[in-house]
Amino acid sequence: MKGSVIKYERDNIDTDVILPGPYLKIHDYAELATHAMEGLDKDFHKRVKPGDFIVAGKNFGCGSSREHAPIALSYSGIKAVLALSFARIFYRNAVDGAFLLPIEIDESAYKDISDTDSLEVDVSKNEIKNLTKNKIYKMKPFPELIGKIIEAGGLFNYKP
Amino acid sequence: MSRTLFEKIWDSHIVVDEGGRSLLYVDRHLIHEVTSPQAFEGLRINSRKVRRPDLTFATMDHNVPTSDRSLPILDQISSTQIKTLEKNCKEFGITLFDINSPNQGIVHVIGPELGITLPGTTIVCGDSHTSTHGAFGALAFGIGTSDVEHVLATQCILMEKPKTFEIKIQGKRKNPHAITAKDIILSIIRKIGTAGGTGTVIEYRGEAISELTMEQRMTICNMSIEAGARAGLIAPDEKTFQYLKGRKYVPENYDECVDNWRENLTTDRSAKFDKSFTLSAESIVPQVSWGTNPAMTSDVTGSIPFAEEYGKGNPEEEKGVTKALQYMDLKSGTLITDIAIDRVFIGSCTNARLEDLIEASKVVKGKKVSPKVRAMVVPGSQLVKKNAEMMGLDKIFKDAGFEWRESGCSMCLGMNPDILAKGERCASTSNRNFEGRQGAGGRTHLVSPVMAAAAAIYGHFVDVRELDLN
Repeated sequence: MKGSVIKYERDNIDTDVILPGPYLKIHDYAELATHAMEGLDKDFHKRVKPGDFIVAGKNFGCGSSREHAPIALSYSGIKAVLALSFARIFYRNAVDGAFLLPIEIDESAYKDISDTDSLEVDVSKNEIKNLTKNKIYKMKPFPELIGKIIEAGGLFNYKP
Repeated sequence: MSRTLFEKIWDSHIVVDEGGRSLLYVDRHLIHEVTSPQAFEGLRINSRKVRRPDLTFATMDHNVPTSDRSLPILDQISSTQIKTLEKNCKEFGITLFDINSPNQGIVHVIGPELGITLPGTTIVCGDSHTSTHGAFGALAFGIGTSDVEHVLATQCILMEKPKTFEIKIQGKRKNPHAITAKDIILSIIRKIGTAGGTGTVIEYRGEAISELTMEQRMTICNMSIEAGARAGLIAPDEKTFQYLKGRKYVPENYDECVDNWRENLTTDRSAKFDKSFTLSAESIVPQVSWGTNPAMTSDVTGSIPFAEEYGKGNPEEEKGVTKALQYMDLKSGTLITDIAIDRVFIGSCTNARLEDLIEASKVVKGKKVSPKVRAMVVPGSQLVKKNAEMMGLDKIFKDAGFEWRESGCSMCLGMNPDILAKGERCASTSNRNFEGRQGAGGRTHLVSPVMAAAAAIYGHFVDVRELDLN
């Protein structure tokens, strides 16, 4: 996976800013995507390109269990969120529906990666290459079960 | 081997165990109009049925208007979402408490109220505040729509076993009318942080928890998710059994069940928790959130913090405070009691049960809402509303100038017309003060029902310990 970075230097980016409540009535995923991150960054949908990554701080996706949050990000083109840590329901939703990869990175990678950097993520090697800065970071490997569900393409395709 | 309450419930629900990750049986599945439509659509596409419609219960709460129910719903998209749930429940044979049902209400208020929520059970719902049901000693957690579909189809959920977290509240509150369950849980979140419970199931214990009523315990467990926990639990006791007795959906052999629960649903004396945190109830005073997450909370006697002081040398924390204060339009050093408010919302699955309304009404009785404030009460269910009206609480609130509305999630999450305008500041009994949660640009302060009621009367926050609440 290759793409460029949209970085938010914030902890606790919650599901209400990722996809504000009034849009929970929308069933069309493409339309949901036009409101992704609207609570925090009104220009997100203009800026985001297919394959982009979000980089953020601790406890990304805290709050509501709305799957609309990872769906909106996914359908706006985000392939993975690289964060210091994730709230668990968001993490689970992202993996279950195969919407995007929730990747945990460490403090040094978080600090080093800048907005608009080009990254290449290789999950099989647990590696993130910063093509702009010519550096390599380690990502936290997915737990075994999560890895298998991701590989299968979501909960419904996973066969134990 | 000695086990915690959580471990006992977990073990008794395992269908398949693969060393720490399990397929768990789900005893109760609660659904609502917002997180279920795609799940039913998925069932249809794959020609699947609902495996246990008899264990699945539905209501509409998130986007329903709280105005006159005899009028049509003006918002076409909301109306469609509501009709879709009606159609899905009919097609798949699920019990629905619809908008005109006397049992309609916020899903986490009606579950216990109808005896659907039972000790020792597993409960899931496509809503993060499902943790509320933990107050009855049920293992209850929020799930997303993919999991809703999975549970509808299989009545099971795949989970990694969470860690156990003991939170002990020792001693007694000094003034139980003024210092409420909301103040206890806000104090906890303030100390352990919004991710303090990540990956764990919390069990709340100690004298200050035991002395709480069932409705107060629900307030505590409700906000477990605000500390990032998977679920919150309180061991059931005589209060729990008494509360549920005679409710509509409790099992026919209720007394036998109680004997079983009494014997089995406790944490063994020698059981070990993975993590522990203790707080003294005597140290807790009324709380007011000032920031944009529930951990950003202060004593009512305090003031808005300075970024450096709050961050304690952590630059990320400092930045967080600066951004939060900017959004909230607050200056460091301002006394909490000097913050003037525009709106008051008494409602939500956190604090809109009968006792909440009774306590708030004591503050309001015989007084008038400040002319600068618009205040509303949104009962947690139609049954709460009916019972409150039988006690004359509606009259107390209306005479004071409050709006008295129909039940639903309402201004807690701003999905229906009940929202804050940009820049409006609200004293709210709900659970989240996230940016824009109650309306784009709206500013939320989380407080208890008595604190919200007092703020409505005075137009700013007041220390309710100074009022006569008996």
